[in-house]
Amino acid sequence: MRVVVAEDVMLTREGITRLLTDAGIDVVGEAGDAAALLRAVRATQPDAAVVDIRMPPTHTDEGLVAAQQIRAEHPDIGVLILSQYIEPRYAMRLIEEHPERVGYLLKERVFDVANLTDALRRLADGETVVDPTIVARIFARKRLAGPLDKLTEREREVLALVAEGRSNRAIATRLFVTERTIEAHVKQIFLKLGLNTDPGSHRRVLAVLAYLRSMT
Amino acid sequence: MLAYPGGRASSAPARVLIAAAYAEALLAVAVLALVRDPYLDPSCLANCNVNAFLVRSLPSLARAVEIADRWFAAAAAAALIAICAARLVAGSRLARRRLLPVAVPAIMFAAAAAARAIALQRTTVEDPFNAALFTIFAVADLAIIFLATGLISAVVRARAERRAIARIAVNLDEAPPLGSLQSALAETLHDPDLRIAYWLPGTQRYVDASGHPVPEPAAKSGGTVTRLMRSGRTIAAITHSGAAPGLDSHLGPAIALGLENERLQAELLFRLGQLRGSWARIVETSDAERRRLERDLHDGAQQHLLALSYDIRLARASAEADGDTAAQMTLATAMEETRAALEELRELAHGIYPAVLAEAGLAPALATLADTAPLPVQIRRADNRRYPAPVEAAAYFTVAETVDDAARRGADRAAVTLAQERGRLVVTVEDNGTDRDAPMIALADRVGALGGSLHLKQTACRAEIPCASS
Repeated sequence: MRVVVAEDVMLTREGITRLLTDAGIDVVGEAGDAAALLRAVRATQPDAAVVDIRMPPTHTDEGLVAAQQIRAEHPDIGVLILSQYIEPRYAMRLIEEHPERVGYLLKERVFDVANLTDALRRLADGETVVDPTIVARIFARKRLAGPLDKLTEREREVLALVAEGRSNRAIATRLFVTERTIEAHVKQIFLKLGLNTDPGSHRRVLAVLAYLRSMT
Repeated sequence: MLAYPGGRASSAPARVLIAAAYAEALLAVAVLALVRDPYLDPSCLANCNVNAFLVRSLPSLARAVEIADRWFAAAAAAALIAICAARLVAGSRLARRRLLPVAVPAIMFAAAAAARAIALQRTTVEDPFNAALFTIFAVADLAIIFLATGLISAVVRARAERRAIARIAVNLDEAPPLGSLQSALAETLHDPDLRIAYWLPGTQRYVDASGHPVPEPAAKSGGTVTRLMRSGRTIAAITHSGAAPGLDSHLGPAIALGLENERLQAELLFRLGQLRGSWARIVETSDAERRRLERDLHDGAQQHLLALSYDIRLARASAEADGDTAAQMTLATAMEETRAALEELRELAHGIYPAVLAEAGLAPALATLADTAPLPVQIRRADNRRYPAPVEAAAYFTVAETVDDAARRGADRAAVTLAQERGRLVVTVEDNGTDRDAPMIALADRVGALGGSLHLKQTACRAEIPCASS
């Protein structure tokens, strides 16, 4: 697998590069800002780009903007955003326009190489990646009694994995059941929550995240 | 006519014309008195007595002087017309209205005088039965009647105004609204453009009745600026579109007191405005400082912790390779500690200033607040409208602090409503906890710094923050 790494702090960039190289991933380009990232992506046509959310000049959301641009120009190239914020809004903004092959991962989890390679592999498979910490936080949100209480323990488990961007097959493998079982679960969950989105589409990640955040 | 209504000729051309007329009349009369012999004047009709002052009879010189005198009269009359017309054109609406009853008869009279001078050059005898001359006389007489009427009405009106000015104080309540003196004077003098500016000696500037700085009062064309002095000090300046001779002395003692009172109030309001400005700047600076701190934490301490956690992982991998279980254990603990430190740092930075507030605005920041709040927080009517940063920050911290307070008072739910009412962002937070026991002074200060207000009830909080929505 070939990736480009964009991160303005050199120490972190080198760390990520070394981790990826050690894991057998080919780092074909490195960039310190969004412009250099876009150049590197155009020049090397990698499988994915690993992008820090904060980059010069304003250190706010340059990474997100660059990610959207890459996704718009190169539909086959995945983008994994590394962020220090547990901020659902940023993750949702990322998957709003192009829900496939994008991921939002907390930066500190990157150094656990298994997390990083797993996320990149999932992007390559066309999945969406939302950091489990973010999903856990939205699930833990204090709520009044509502439709969420009608879900069984198993359904809640499946819903969390859907929110993380996993496919039915990936969820099935993880929970040691068949893909059809998961399909049935997802349908049931969407029915109980009154979600109108096609439960099989990539859009379901955004729909679930938005639903969970709007429920008090 | 030229000196009307101020009592003094106001422009240089007018003063030149007056001086020239006097000088010419003196010169012509003197020369004629000394050299004109009525017996040798063929056109003598009116004044044909013996000239007692005659020094030497010089008929041709006398004749020349008479002709020159008439040409001068015609020229002076034309100049008078020009000056009156210019004043009418240049003056404000009010000044023009005041000037018309005098200026129009003046122009009429001057026209008649000029016509007479020109007519006399043609005929030797000033024959009243000549149709042209008769018309001229009639016009001149009418003009004088109009002029007299105009002047009398001006005097009457001026007296009425003076009495009205002196009476203004009677109409003022005990606590008149701001600027009521200005509107009372404006109404009395029929001048909607009348302005009173109060002088603040401390800061050396003029302000209006509500304490807003105004430019140094300057008279517009046809208008006047009256500086009101009390014991040798300027207290106010009145800018008036018309002439107001002696305005200062006509103000009654009560209105003078009212002026002094309003000046003190204006000074207070001005100081308050300055104070409010510096208050807002303090909050703004502290917000900017918070944002900087948040960035520094992310870009400094957090990056170092990330690097540290990376190094620990490498060390742990090599300890694993060496089969050193003791080191592995220690490094695992260190790993966990680093993770906890990163977590704490992130929460700290978010508490100092949520990045999402600056980047995405109030509604997304409140959604995130609700994610981690210790009790269910319902957010109503939040759209993605953006407000100036200090307004968003004040609204956000209002919600953050009242929600924390609600949790402290044992509430198990809170509802946040955002609304925009008459240029104000209104944030209400209601909960079902026990009664409030703390006054939330810091919050009231923050909202107050933006000119807003914080209303606290037992389990409800309402903040109104002025906002120029963008």
